[in-house]
Amino acid sequence: MFRIAIKGILGRKARLILTSLAVILGTSFLAGTSVFSDTLNRTFDNLFSDVFKNVDSYVRSTQVIEGNFGQEERQRIPLELVDLVKKVPGVSDAVPDVQAFARIIGKDGKPLGSDGQGPPTFGSVAMKFKGALWTISQGEWPMGPKDVALDEASAKNGKYVVGDTVKVVAQSGSREFTLVGIASYGDVRSPGGATFALFDPTTASEFLAKPGLFDDILVSGDGSKSDVELAKAINAAIPAKYKTETLTGAQITAETQDQIGSALSFFGILLKTFSFIALGVGCFVIYNVFSISAAQRQRENALLRAIGASRKQITRTMLIESIAVGLIGSIIGLVAGIGLSAGLSALLRAVNIDIPNGGLVVSQNTVVSTIIIGLIVTVLSAILPARRAGKVPPLAAMRATALEIAAPGRKRLITGFASIILGIAVVGFVMSGASNSYLGIGILLVFIGTIVLGPIIARPVALFLGRPAARFRGITGVMARQNSARNPKRTSRTASPVLIGVALVTAVTALAASIKGQIDDVFTAQFKGDYAISTDARGFGGLSPTLAIDLNKLPQVEKATGFGFLTVKIDGKGQYLTTVTPETVDGVWDIGLINATYADLKTSNIFLSEKTAKRKNISVGAVVQTTFADGVTRPLTVSGIYVNNEIGDYVANSHLVDGTPVVMFDVGVYIKTKAGADKAETVAALTAAVKKYGQGDLLTKQEYINKQSGQVNQLLGLIYGLLMLSVIISIVGIIITLLLSVFERQRELGLLRAVGMTRSQVRTTVRWESVITSLLGAVLGIILGIGLGWVIVFALKDQGLTSFKLPVGPTIVIMVMSFIVGLFAAIYPAWRATRVNILDALNTN
Amino acid sequence: MTPQTSTIAASAISATKVYGSGEDAVYALRDVSVDFYEGQFTAIMGPSGSGKSTLMHCIAGLDELSSGSAIIDGTDLSTMKDKELTELRREKIGFVFQSFNLVPTLTANENIRLPLMLGNNKGDEAWIQKVIGTVHLQDRLTHRPSELSGGQQQRVAVARALASQPRIIFADEPTGNLDSITGAEILTFMRKAVDDLGQTIVMVTHDPVAAAYADRIIFLADGHVVNEMTEPTAARVLDLMKSLGN
Ligand SMILES: Nc1ncnc2c1ncn2[C@@H]1O[C@H](COP(=O)(O)OP(=O)(O)OP(=O)(O)O)[C@@H](O)[C@H]1O
Ligand SMILES: [Mg+2]
Repeated sequence: MFRIAIKGILGRKARLILTSLAVILGTSFLAGTSVFSDTLNRTFDNLFSDVFKNVDSYVRSTQVIEGNFGQEERQRIPLELVDLVKKVPGVSDAVPDVQAFARIIGKDGKPLGSDGQGPPTFGSVAMKFKGALWTISQGEWPMGPKDVALDEASAKNGKYVVGDTVKVVAQSGSREFTLVGIASYGDVRSPGGATFALFDPTTASEFLAKPGLFDDILVSGDGSKSDVELAKAINAAIPAKYKTETLTGAQITAETQDQIGSALSFFGILLKTFSFIALGVGCFVIYNVFSISAAQRQRENALLRAIGASRKQITRTMLIESIAVGLIGSIIGLVAGIGLSAGLSALLRAVNIDIPNGGLVVSQNTVVSTIIIGLIVTVLSAILPARRAGKVPPLAAMRATALEIAAPGRKRLITGFASIILGIAVVGFVMSGASNSYLGIGILLVFIGTIVLGPIIARPVALFLGRPAARFRGITGVMARQNSARNPKRTSRTASPVLIGVALVTAVTALAASIKGQIDDVFTAQFKGDYAISTDARGFGGLSPTLAIDLNKLPQVEKATGFGFLTVKIDGKGQYLTTVTPETVDGVWDIGLINATYADLKTSNIFLSEKTAKRKNISVGAVVQTTFADGVTRPLTVSGIYVNNEIGDYVANSHLVDGTPVVMFDVGVYIKTKAGADKAETVAALTAAVKKYGQGDLLTKQEYINKQSGQVNQLLGLIYGLLMLSVIISIVGIIITLLLSVFERQRELGLLRAVGMTRSQVRTTVRWESVITSLLGAVLGIILGIGLGWVIVFALKDQGLTSFKLPVGPTIVIMVMSFIVGLFAAIYPAWRATRVNILDALNTN
Repeated sequence: MTPQTSTIAASAISATKVYGSGEDAVYALRDVSVDFYEGQFTAIMGPSGSGKSTLMHCIAGLDELSSGSAIIDGTDLSTMKDKELTELRREKIGFVFQSFNLVPTLTANENIRLPLMLGNNKGDEAWIQKVIGTVHLQDRLTHRPSELSGGQQQRVAVARALASQPRIIFADEPTGNLDSITGAEILTFMRKAVDDLGQTIVMVTHDPVAAAYADRIIFLADGHVVNEMTEPTAARVLDLMKSLGN
């Protein structure tokens, strides 16, 4: 039997190639994403072990606030500690270090660094020191208050050379420096695409943070003590009142690597999730190919059965074939995946995210898991068709043509409907209060039910969708319509991957449309001004608080108010605190205060959102103990509750931090102009004021609202990109099925050509069959996707998403795209169909 | 029988067909010259491998001759491109094959009109109705081939060949897969098409009884025309075949 299996494989190279193709694609995405995230991980690991190579000890504050999303804000330490540390026996040198927001303005006046979610822009210390993180590759170290050094990539992108004047914006405002040196970090031009402006310690502290304060101290030992002993000695030498800790070089390296690792792991999980979805879609394609090939070999198998092969032997033959296909496909997929990740890295380098060289990381794990998963998936997908092949009655050898038994079984009908109804019931329970975590099960059941019912739905729906083709394309359309309906199982198996892809795309689009709609409504209702100044630096740096003050001095401006953003600790948990300026915010932004006015917000007060108040079960008059980044806990009395929690859970007075070491930026400044102010003059005045800071974009109200919802587009783009993997596989699925159908219909095609069908008519027929199949998947996918989107929006009700918006435009686009996908997938199969040799086709008996 | 007319519907002139080359060359046709007259029912007979199908395929534009020419309606097929040949087959030639004659997804009616529909041609409706009536398919028109018997399927195939009023119909063993009674039905019908509708038919067959329905028989052997008979009867055909066999 094994020999027969091998012969079967070699005898049908085309089929082997087509089946392997599905496996190759699925596994290559898996391997590619895995290699890529491993490479990224190792890259950063190496980078930091390199950077901290000569740092023996690392001193920092123990006072830290961890926010909701893993970010942390650590208190700063005073300069006098540096001298303390230097005196510790075993220390050869110690330098203070600070890392804070700074944005370099390019020669053309445009700030460097990418907008939005791109890598951060930093200012830091560069100082000649054994354990220095930076090395100067050109020019000098920055020494005085007018000196700056830039990382290599920033210097290049900003078109700066040593000697130029460089403008940098930081917490304390914008300032001009002279470029004295170009620096590099480890062996890269700039770490992870971030930009760096580097100063001597005094300037860095004063310009980037607060005078005399630093983030940490880098220490290098004289070799007389081990790193651990040195750290202990330093720790002992620093009085407890400073609340510091001392780490060894190895510890800080590991910690930094961990931080980067967990940030990257989110990205890795995202990649992995979508490549698994793609692989799942690939399963359908593999299953379909094995089913078709079992059907096409029905006569051959029946003959084997007739001459004495057992069911088991037939089944085993097909399984052996699937093992071979799985193995070969996975190995090729692995190689293709490595190529794919090389492409991805090249892409990143092209957009200036520098990855230190060192080659791709192809871990043993990647190799083994890719091959095993590929093998398992292939064999699992082949089990059902193989069993079915074994069940072929010997009599089938005498039957005329290979036909898949298409009668819609009662069992299928019942299973499908039961699954859908159960799924809807589960979703219903969630809607009426059950936990959201059951939602996944409900959705999965509906999907499974739809796919089980597929073969039953396929025929009527394909016939319906094929109507226009039949009407307008004459006989070729009629035949395409009939062909797409002649083998409902096959058609539905081909359409299923399209269905899944389209459903996911539609759901994500519906979700995005709803979020955008909501943003639009909310901002239109709450923002009462005319202009906004926004910044892309989210959560890290931002607009100087003095900008709003400057703007209020303009004659055209009635009011300008800034919203700030602080990370604080409330009840032991990191929280975001939004700060507003009560004198100016009134009438510009409405947060929906209940029985309170902005005037009630003194520096000793805090406002809570209605939701937060409910959750914490506190009300006006309660005291909220709030720990700020300076380590000081301030008791804030609740003096108001507001409804519009889009602004955040907590609101405080921006003057609260005046005169404290707490660093505060505005994330946005909102402006209401005076009635009757000349528009052009207003814009000119505002623009000039903003330009002074070199940071922030002036936007009209509508532009601002569009920008807010535009951020959803970025995420949408990323998810679309990842879903492309699944879409590609479903396209390949259509191509493979069409090709197999064309092979199977050789005789019919020969006959048609003999009685006068031209090549272009043959092409048209195949093309429309493909379009109908693709649209079948798209229509069902859109229906499911809209349902899914609606359910997700509902589930996010607690997150503040209140209204579902039907993405009408995008839905039409998806339909048109599916149509194009159908046309595209048909190109090669249609060409093959025209190459059928009439005589050969007629002679095969 | 029909009076012999002198109009030539199709012909082969010094037709030679070679498969392969050198020592392995197989001559399917050697210098065959033959004319098929309009309004005549011609049968081609000969032992297996004698080149009957090859001759038919070459004259019908399904295959190319190695040398010599095939002419239909005054046009030399070797000068035509694939698209022109396809259109020629669609408009001027009708086909009936031994089996697998019909497109399984189309109804009998659609199969009958297939060549016309492919040419975006409505055809002569009165004529089509007459053809359908003659083959007694009125109440089977909406059926698909899988719902028809073998004989009915062949009748649909013959109706298809006639529906577009081609210059000539080629039938390769049209009754080869049928029992003798159903076969006789089809042959009677083809005969009627020639007599009543004025069709031109060329039929390949092994069966002397089938051949006896024709006006004229061409005998092939080893790629040559070896004999010819007009107004045949089954007995005479059988006799001749025996003598050729010697
Ligand atoms: N594609 C081909 N390649 C090589 N030789 C071929 C090919 N087609 C036909 N032949 C040979 O040409 C000769 C004539 O074949 P053809 O099919 O015309 O015979 P036939 O008279 O129709 O036979 P039958 O009565 O068995 O149908 C045969 O010897 C055959 O083997
Ligand atoms: Mg033959």
